[in-house]
Amino acid sequence: MTNENKLKTLPDQMWEPLGQEEKDAEKIERPSLTFFQDGWRRLKANKIAVISMFTILVITLGAVVIPWFWPYSYKQQDLNLANLPAVMKVYPVDGENSIYVTPQYTLMVVGPKGELKGLADAVRKDMAQKKNYFDINGKSVVVDYSFYSDGLKEYKKLEKSVKKSGNDMVKVKKADYLKAYFEGTDTKEVSLSEAWDILENRLARTQVTCDGQVLTDQVRVKNRAYVLGTDGLGRDLFIRIVYGARISLLVGFFAAFINFVVGVFYGAVAGYAGGRTDNIMMRIVDVLDSIPMTLYVILIMVVVGPGILSIILALGLTFWVKMARIVRGQVLTLKQQEFVKAAIVTGADTKRIITKHLIPNMMGPIMVNIAMQIPSAIFNEAFLSFVGLGISAPMASWGTLCNDALAGIYVYPYQMVFPAIAISVTILTFNLFSDGLRDAFDPKQRK
Amino acid sequence: MLRYILKRVVSAIITIWFIMTLTFFLMKAIPGDPFSSEKMADPVIIENMKAKYGLDRPLPEQYFKYLSDYAQGDFGISFMKKGLTTNDIISSGFPYSLTIGIWASAIVLVVGVFFGIVAALRQNRFVDRLLMLLSTLGATIPSFVFATGFLFVFSKIMGLVPSYGVNNWKGYIGPVIVSALFSLAYVVRLMRTSTLDVLNQDYIRTARAKGLPEWKVLGKHAMRNAILPVVTYIGPMFAALITGSFVVEKVFGIPGIGNLFTTSILNRDYTLIMGITVFFSVILVICILIVDILYVLIDPRIKYQ
Repeated sequence: MTNENKLKTLPDQMWEPLGQEEKDAEKIERPSLTFFQDGWRRLKANKIAVISMFTILVITLGAVVIPWFWPYSYKQQDLNLANLPAVMKVYPVDGENSIYVTPQYTLMVVGPKGELKGLADAVRKDMAQKKNYFDINGKSVVVDYSFYSDGLKEYKKLEKSVKKSGNDMVKVKKADYLKAYFEGTDTKEVSLSEAWDILENRLARTQVTCDGQVLTDQVRVKNRAYVLGTDGLGRDLFIRIVYGARISLLVGFFAAFINFVVGVFYGAVAGYAGGRTDNIMMRIVDVLDSIPMTLYVILIMVVVGPGILSIILALGLTFWVKMARIVRGQVLTLKQQEFVKAAIVTGADTKRIITKHLIPNMMGPIMVNIAMQIPSAIFNEAFLSFVGLGISAPMASWGTLCNDALAGIYVYPYQMVFPAIAISVTILTFNLFSDGLRDAFDPKQRK
Repeated sequence: MLRYILKRVVSAIITIWFIMTLTFFLMKAIPGDPFSSEKMADPVIIENMKAKYGLDRPLPEQYFKYLSDYAQGDFGISFMKKGLTTNDIISSGFPYSLTIGIWASAIVLVVGVFFGIVAALRQNRFVDRLLMLLSTLGATIPSFVFATGFLFVFSKIMGLVPSYGVNNWKGYIGPVIVSALFSLAYVVRLMRTSTLDVLNQDYIRTARAKGLPEWKVLGKHAMRNAILPVVTYIGPMFAALITGSFVVEKVFGIPGIGNLFTTSILNRDYTLIMGITVFFSVILVICILIVDILYVLIDPRIKYQ
């Protein structure tokens, strides 16, 4: 049978045109994904990474926007309002007002909802008796701080006797405040540093009486004026933390930028050139890497002065090193591949090969490494500022805030807690995000 | 073997010389000299001071004197702490940091390797997830946060450890734990990864197939290879731990060498900076050298290159 005959035997309905649906059966349903779309899809499936990404966005947005409308600035100080915690322990005086005893033994009048009504004017300050007298809405309130300052005198005596005898231990019975603390067990001995600690941190410093009655019941109210309290100079802690976020993010993103520009370029050139050029360039990298960062910072500080600029310069000097190594390694393997040879054959010059062929092919590792360097830069800035080599007053970074809070850690722990949370959360989210990015864009690196 | 060690020693000495030279010229590159900031109006005094510290000599002469002094173990006189030599200052601070560093390293090794193996054996189960979460936290939270948190909880609230200084063994608990945490978090991760890698190898399957008990498979076959990356890491880690951490020493009030180094930088005490930098790099180079030699002993596949 010929083909023509075969056609004739086909049933008639086979000659009818296809419906629209059947025509599409062979079509590729989805558009093919580019490298980024593919990675993005995988990233979106990773819940932790998405949450971290949103946290980072919120922090960034907050750092940019909040200072615009916040009622306080980072350097606006009011010594009368120093060291007010976020949650104050107050003594209720009458139905309306309560009082908060400041570290200077004055009284802050606090409204029922926690709003600050200002310092109460002292009626009399009796330095000899170590009592401050106040008048709060017709009630007379007395703050007695003799216990602490007597204790201080006793401590000074203890210190002298220790210096004389050379023995660091002191007897409890020698100081009244120690006796009060240990409640009679006066055969005990404590070290001088512990004696100081007891006086400074463990004993109540004041006794407050209202119309002759000793006030003991304390109530906790939230500080409405300063959500996270104030620092030792009466500056709003919250806005200082927000400014700290600005600095940390600035440092972090700058490190990312340097990484991308210098690190990628340097590594790509070294790897592509190969041979002696590569060798020399990588030895320079080794040398830069071998000196501790603190040393760079001090050297730069001597020239440009302390501040954010010297940190940024130091980061700029050192932070691209790891990226350069990674990019070089990538280039060394990529340049052997056929597409690079094809590009050379078609007459592309080195610049074009690096920018159009090599770099797009290593965007995965590059992005992942950038994301990993950001938290490390933030960490370094916090460390340097904590050490005292970074941001200087009145600017605040998280490291300096923690450092400032360290001196009063037992008395005002909240001043340490809030910046510490800010640093930890930020570094953690950046790390989790970069882990997600790595899993999505560079699965080979996964550990 | 002997030749390999000799070669490594020579290259270590060259490295130290290189770091010394670099430190020297970096310090010289700083504009001004240590005395220009002080209020010494009289140029005669400045001249005398410079003569005392040998700063009036030509640079090459200073450099060679510096090299020969250091080779004899004389690190010079401190600029800022009057009358003290750099050697005195280092030997007063180093013992504290050394004690803390040795204990911290021991904790990192024992606890880190153990939990790394546990995490690998329980991969993707609860224990593994928990350990990985903890190690992420340990690697991300700055040490000053940990240190102050530790002090606050264990000293202020519970009163178990002294808040300041290392007068007795209790004072060492906090510094040791806080110093160890970062490396600990890293070693747990490293050990987990390498154990997982090793457990997927053919020879482990062979060992299991021939009926070895599981502890023997792990202890004899898997561990020997899995521990290698950790061995590479402990060299620099040990060096970093025994040279002290400024943060830990500051928060816990320990007069260690990490504290000294940073204060010397803050004080611009140039001889002390140079002395401590060289001291640190010698320790680092020696630690790496020891690890390199250990490595060959543990892993015979590495030829003495």
